[in-house]
Amino acid sequence: MKRRSPTLWTGAVLAGLVVLLALVSLVWLPYDPADTSGGRLAGPGDGHLLGTDKLGRDLFTQLMTGSRIALEAGLGSVLIAALIGVTLGVLAAYAQGWFDDTLSALLDILIAFPTLLLAMLIVAARSATLGSAILAIGLAQSAVVARLTRILVKRVLAQDYITAARTSGTSWPRITAGHVLPNIWPTLVVNLALQFGLAVLAEAGLSYLGLGAPPPNASWGRMLQEAQATFTTAPAGALAPGVLLVLLVIGVNLIADGLRDVLDPTTRRGRAAA
Amino acid sequence: MKLRKKPLSAGVLTLALAVTLAACGGGAHGGGAANGAYDKNATVNIGSLYEPQNLDNTAGGGQGVTEALNGNVYEGLFRLTDAGKVEKLLAQDYKVSGDGLTYTFTLRDGVTFHSGKKLTSQDVKYSLEKVLAKDSQSARKADLEVVKDIATPDAKTVRVTLSKKSVSFVYNLSYVWVINSQAKELKTTEDGTGPYKLNKWTRGSALSLDRFAGYWGDAAKNKQVVFHYYKDATALNNALLTNGVDVVTSEQSPDALDQFKSQRNYKVNDGNSTTKLLLAFNDKAKPFTDVKVRQAVSAAIDDKKLLDSVWGGYGKLIGSMVPPTDPWYEDLTKVNAYDVDKAKKLLAEAGYAKGFSFTLDTPNYDPHPTVATFIKSQLAKVGITVEINTITPDQWYTKVYKNHDFTATLQEHVNDRDLVWYGNPDFYWGYDDKQVQNWIEQAERASTTDEQTELLKKANRKTAEDAASDWLYLYPQIVVANSKLSGYPVNGLNSQFFAYNIEKR
Repeated sequence: MKRRSPTLWTGAVLAGLVVLLALVSLVWLPYDPADTSGGRLAGPGDGHLLGTDKLGRDLFTQLMTGSRIALEAGLGSVLIAALIGVTLGVLAAYAQGWFDDTLSALLDILIAFPTLLLAMLIVAARSATLGSAILAIGLAQSAVVARLTRILVKRVLAQDYITAARTSGTSWPRITAGHVLPNIWPTLVVNLALQFGLAVLAEAGLSYLGLGAPPPNASWGRMLQEAQATFTTAPAGALAPGVLLVLLVIGVNLIADGLRDVLDPTTRRGRAAA
Repeated sequence: MKLRKKPLSAGVLTLALAVTLAACGGGAHGGGAANGAYDKNATVNIGSLYEPQNLDNTAGGGQGVTEALNGNVYEGLFRLTDAGKVEKLLAQDYKVSGDGLTYTFTLRDGVTFHSGKKLTSQDVKYSLEKVLAKDSQSARKADLEVVKDIATPDAKTVRVTLSKKSVSFVYNLSYVWVINSQAKELKTTEDGTGPYKLNKWTRGSALSLDRFAGYWGDAAKNKQVVFHYYKDATALNNALLTNGVDVVTSEQSPDALDQFKSQRNYKVNDGNSTTKLLLAFNDKAKPFTDVKVRQAVSAAIDDKKLLDSVWGGYGKLIGSMVPPTDPWYEDLTKVNAYDVDKAKKLLAEAGYAKGFSFTLDTPNYDPHPTVATFIKSQLAKVGITVEINTITPDQWYTKVYKNHDFTATLQEHVNDRDLVWYGNPDFYWGYDDKQVQNWIEQAERASTTDEQTELLKKANRKTAEDAASDWLYLYPQIVVANSKLSGYPVNGLNSQFFAYNIEKR
């Protein structure tokens, strides 16, 4: 990896800001998250960097704890999507005939479902917790990952060196570990990075609808929802989580783009943003 | 009960005691300044968030159907005035027999339906039967089930026999629309006797009403009324700012009001609603089986601060289920008032000196999550840990309302005169007090409204002292209108919005 990607670095800095915020929030917060002594919708300044919400809680404190939820949602969902998606994808790629057809059809159906809708169904069936939201988003995304994996693996399996390995008696598990996965991981990682951004947005969307992490956890989505009605009088409440959400998602997308530049040997220059 | 912002499914509405209070019978209480001549041929544009599901109030039309059609297109034998008093409307007169079981109504002369047909006693019979029908989803159905027999001795007379005394019968009749017995397709058309007839309903956007030339009473003071339906409050407020609408029937957030208050072109009216926000305990689930625990929780929550947080100075505190517009209202805010020391003492007496923890089932839409967060932080100060469990309206209906599978929950109760639910031990909150049940039962069998009022006051005081629920606050009813308008209902309690007295300059 000798090529430098400015996209990658910009992305890393943007996303890094949010990670830093989350890390700091583990050891220090300006106020107790449950402290309601700030007064209703106090403006920025005067002891509160970004002001307070309706209940008089410090906005910056909520923003910091919210960054943890955003990152947890992104990481958790992507982990689930990767585990289930890659396993299913590899299985589907090796499968033949009706099994392959059935699996692909199932994946197509799953993909046709909007992520948020599927997540809402799952959250409604279980209870509204961050765990449910992560599981739901992860499951929805695993279909996308599985389909991509299946295509990538199939392409690798069609190569001559796989036939050579097979004729020389190498087992399927060894071929998968030794030849298939090393060849597909750059593309997969780029895709998973994109999924991370989408997962963060999906969690914010669920929280906005009141189906994400339950209160008083300050998810950015809920903060947006709560601040919506007071946007004209106290814009900071909606702007701050909105801006952070955008920073994180753009940052992650830039990282994905940068990674593609760096990892994919077939592209020389950066491409347009996904 | 009915949810304010997101109405529950039709099923709940059937069960619900959705009593809507007719607001502002006469123009005298209407909002806005009245000076100079008004335009008799004006079109009044009304902005609302509540589009009807259909136009039939016995088929789950929702609160939007009441808002647009009650009193405007359809009329009952009676109507409820702004003060909560019953007034004769299509009934010219009525007599009650000595045993209180037979009501004889004489219909007003010269009333015709919009289709041109004359009103007869047959239509009244049909209308009442429609509410009582098996497939009726009317919120009044349960209250009117005391009706045993409806007779029509002649075209002008209706005689109703009840199976037992019901002092609220006449009041309940103010919610029964009198409909032409030959009318069809009532979900999309209408045939009422009101001052307006339906012009056009464009689903998803607007419903327009035209002045009915053949109206029996005083003609409407404007030529046309158009209800414009919006999906969100911001768009609705913008419509008011850009003169897309003249009046907004019910503002749901205090923070959008500053933009109107600062301008002379608009008037912000702060009226009374009947919507109460409840922290409803399951009185049959530990630890809320213990009166002291309920009293302690009520005393540990600073309702005033909560109301200010959510409504920024609007709204009122109430100490019981009864809003000021109910005849049996009493100021009970001093009962179990905010007092942290007392709360701690009560908890210790109940054996929970170290506190306890419970799950609060919280509907996932405003204002419940905010309120739950506030309650959690307040109760933490007396050692009580609150686990907030957010649920959808459907889940609330199944889990809490039907299965009583909860410890405590938050809910809005929009109806007036709904204290009576504390007399039903099988209601979702499971308050079971024999004396209160007797008082409420006797009140309904009372011969006079004074007697009824006296008994319900007693019942109300007892539920308040028992902290049967914690009544957090009473919602404000905020109507914002262009200052060119006057005569609109300011206490548009619940959903009714009488448009016929609106004058536009």
